[in-house]
Order: sequence, then C-alpha cells, then structure tokens
Amino acid sequence: MATWTWFHRFGSPPWVYGFAARWTPWFGGAAAIAMLVALYGGLVLAPEDYQQKDAFRMVYVHAPTAWLSMMVYTTMAVAAAVGLIWRMKVAHAAAAACAPVGAWFTVAALGTGMLWGKPMWGAYWVWDPRLTAELVLLFLYFGYMGLRAGIEDPVKADKASAVLAVVGVVNIPIIKYSVEWWNSLHQTPTVMKMGKPTMDTDMLWPLLLMFLAFALYFATVLLIRLRAELLRRERNASWIREVLS
Amino acid sequence: MSEFFSMSGYGVYLWPAFALGFGVVIINLVMALNTLSQAKQEAKRRLEMNAERTS
Amino acid sequence: MFFMIVATLFPLTLTPELSRLRDAAPGVLWVGALLSSLLALEFLFREDAQDGTLEQFALSGQSLTWMLFAKTCTHWLLTGLPLALSAPVAAVGLGVPAGAMWSVVASLALGGFALSLVGAISAGLTLGARRGGVLLSLLTLPLAVPILVFGADATQRAITGDAIAPPMYLLGAIAVLGVTLAPLAAAAAVRIGLE
Repeated sequence: MATWTWFHRFGSPPWVYGFAARWTPWFGGAAAIAMLVALYGGLVLAPEDYQQKDAFRMVYVHAPTAWLSMMVYTTMAVAAAVGLIWRMKVAHAAAAACAPVGAWFTVAALGTGMLWGKPMWGAYWVWDPRLTAELVLLFLYFGYMGLRAGIEDPVKADKASAVLAVVGVVNIPIIKYSVEWWNSLHQTPTVMKMGKPTMDTDMLWPLLLMFLAFALYFATVLLIRLRAELLRRERNASWIREVLS
Repeated sequence: MSEFFSMSGYGVYLWPAFALGFGVVIINLVMALNTLSQAKQEAKRRLEMNAERTS
Repeated sequence: MFFMIVATLFPLTLTPELSRLRDAAPGVLWVGALLSSLLALEFLFREDAQDGTLEQFALSGQSLTWMLFAKTCTHWLLTGLPLALSAPVAAVGLGVPAGAMWSVVASLALGGFALSLVGAISAGLTLGARRGGVLLSLLTLPLAVPILVFGADATQRAITGDAIAPPMYLLGAIAVLGVTLAPLAAAAAVRIGLE
C-alpha cells in the first residue's frame, strides 16, 4: 500500500516540513540552471522569426509566466479540494502558500503580454476572451486572498477560500480554450496541441526548457512558503522545537 | 552587441518584458525566503515565551 | 429603483444624443443590473443569518441546497425580474429601438437569474467575514464576467437587429450550470460560515 503511506506522510506537518527543507535546494538549483540555459537558447541561439523578427523572443518570458499563473491556480484548487474532502491541514496550508505566487505571475503574464501586444497588434490591451479571462484570474486570486484575510477563524477561512478556489477553477479552461472557441486576436496554440508542435525546433527547445524551469521554480517557492505556513499554523507543536534548533 | 540590445528594433518592448518576468521571479523568491525567516523567528519567540511561562 | 437612477444618470452626464447613447446602452443596462443585483445580494442571507433562521434550516433534516435555491429564486423574482421588466423604460431613454425591447427584457431576465445564482455563492462565502459587502462584490465580479459579456452581446445584437440566439444559448447554458452547481456551492459556503 505504498500510495497510502505517501498519503499519510503528506498529512503530517513535520514530515512535510522536513521533505520541503531537504528538496528546496535541489529544485532551486535545477530551476536556476534551466532558466539560464533556456535564456541563452532563446535570446542568443534561436533564429529570428520570419514575421515577428526578434520580438517573438518575448515568448520565452510571456508564455511561461502565463502558463505558471494557470498552473499555480490549478494546484491551489486541487490542494483546496483535497483539504476540503480529506480535511488535511497541510493541503489548506499549501493552497494558502500558492495564492500570492499565482497573483504575481498573473500580473507578470498580463504585463509581458501588454509589452508584446503593443508592437504586434498596435495596442497594449484588447478586450479579447483570453486577456479578459486572465484578468478575471487576477480578480480570483485577489478574491481568494481577500476572503482569507476577511475571515477571522482560521479553519473557516481555510474552508471558505477552498470553496472559492474550486468554484473559480472553471476559469482555467476558459483561458486555455478561448483562443479556439472564439475569434481571438491572441495566437492559437502552437505548442500544446495534439500532435507535433508547429514551432521550429531551434525555437522550441528553449521554450520547453523554460516551462520546465518555471515549474521547478514554482516547486521551490511553494516548498519555502509552505514551510512558513506550517510554522505559523502549528503554533506550539513539539516538532517545531526540534526543527528550529 | 548593439544588435543584441536593439533586437531588430523591438528592444524597447522586449527588455522591459524580460525585466518584468524575471523580476517577478526574483521578487517572489526573496519574499518567500523573508516570510520563512520571519515565521521561524516568530516560532522561536513563541517557544521561548512558553518555556518561560512553564519554568 | 437603483437601476433606474443609474440608467438616468448616464444620459444626463454623458450626452443627450440618442445615437451615441445607443452604443453605450448594452453596457449601461448590464452594469446597472449587476450593481443592483450586488446591492440586493447583501441582504439575501444577512437577515436570516442574524435571526437564526439559517441555522435552523441547516440543522433541520431538509436539504439546505434546495432551500438556498428557493431563496435565490425569490431574490431574482424580487429584484432581477422586476429589473428586466422595467428595463424598456430605461432603454428608451438610452435610444434602444422599440423592436429590440423583448430581447432586452429576455436577456436581462435570463442574465439576472444567472447573476442571482452566482451571487448566492459569494453571499454564502462572505457571511461571517469582516467588510463583507466589499468582499461580496470582489468575489462576485470574476464569476459574473461571462454573464455580463454574453448578456451585453445579446443586448447589442438586439439593438443592431442581429440574431440573439448564440449569446442567449450561452447565457442559458451558464444559467443551467448555475442551477445545478451554485446552490450546492452556496450551501457548502453557508455551512462553513455557520460552524
């Protein structure tokens, strides 16, 4: 019953804390290396695009930040659901840890998108479905953090914000598929399509590596924030004494 | 070299975009580490206060 | 009432030219509908929560989900539907052609119902929260965006004479989804708030 053992371990705050402390440097180091290599690949090695020339290189910062903004929300919603269904404190702590990171990356996605949109479409902002849905995502993050801050009782705050996170997850498929469902100014998917991606290999590998780097980076930051959450929540538990000495 | 910075004329958009994206990366890491060290300090203080109370 | 005030203020402050008002009409009507709905949502659960009726219901053997669905319908019948029915008065002032009126009423009625459903979730979530009113609006907004977008599109198409079927179907789909899921989520939220 190996899965059950894992599940039990993840329910135990001290075990999770130790796991997080051990793995943070590895994830962090890998993320840093991957980011640097991907940056070099994207900014220096990749050839310029036929239509967008060098402007296309913004994909190496815009696509990963946008993808992360959605991935973090999904992680937050899954953690929230796990917390609600199995009443795991650690899951609620993980969801809380995700929120500020996700909000920042949504801001980064919107900002880099605006800087890419101006030279390409002539406008910093258009009210097209994908951009609007990404803005809605930012509001969802703010709502989540606002709700947590507004409820005094920590257990209630956990549960109420978890309900919000789960309800809001419908927005994620909207962001993803909006470019396929509606006529949109935003580019249709070129990487995450079924079948072969339509991007040139020289341009593709730095992008994929950058996605991986950002995923590793998110794991790093999550593990750090999760530790802080666990310390705050566990108050006077005895395992804290051992961890801090 | 100057070609690299101008990025076929799009440099004025591209470099701020990278600065924003990777700036957020760095900020979040720093903020997370700060939060963790603050939480550790608070926990230490609480433990000390508890120890004083029970001793 | 609030809706009427909003709808009157726009022509007074923007421009008396009907043709330009007509362009803004869908937006004005729908923003007004949203704001009125938000105002009324605050009271959806507040009285019952305060005098303990909500707790009694949660404790009784009957389904809280159904009860909240009933309350949501009542909310719509008392605010959303009258708003939709009185919309033609406001719409005339905004330059909407007479032929579009039925569609305007229909889209506002359907959209208003969806708004009430979605609002019930945020009302339930903010029951015990500090500064609940502000939080209520903040939480409702993201979920209300699709309703506003499609509703305004339906109204716009009605004004220009295009078929309103596509956005109405989408509004209907959102409403159906809302009917099945929103009371459940609202009940979960209320139970959390009452613990």
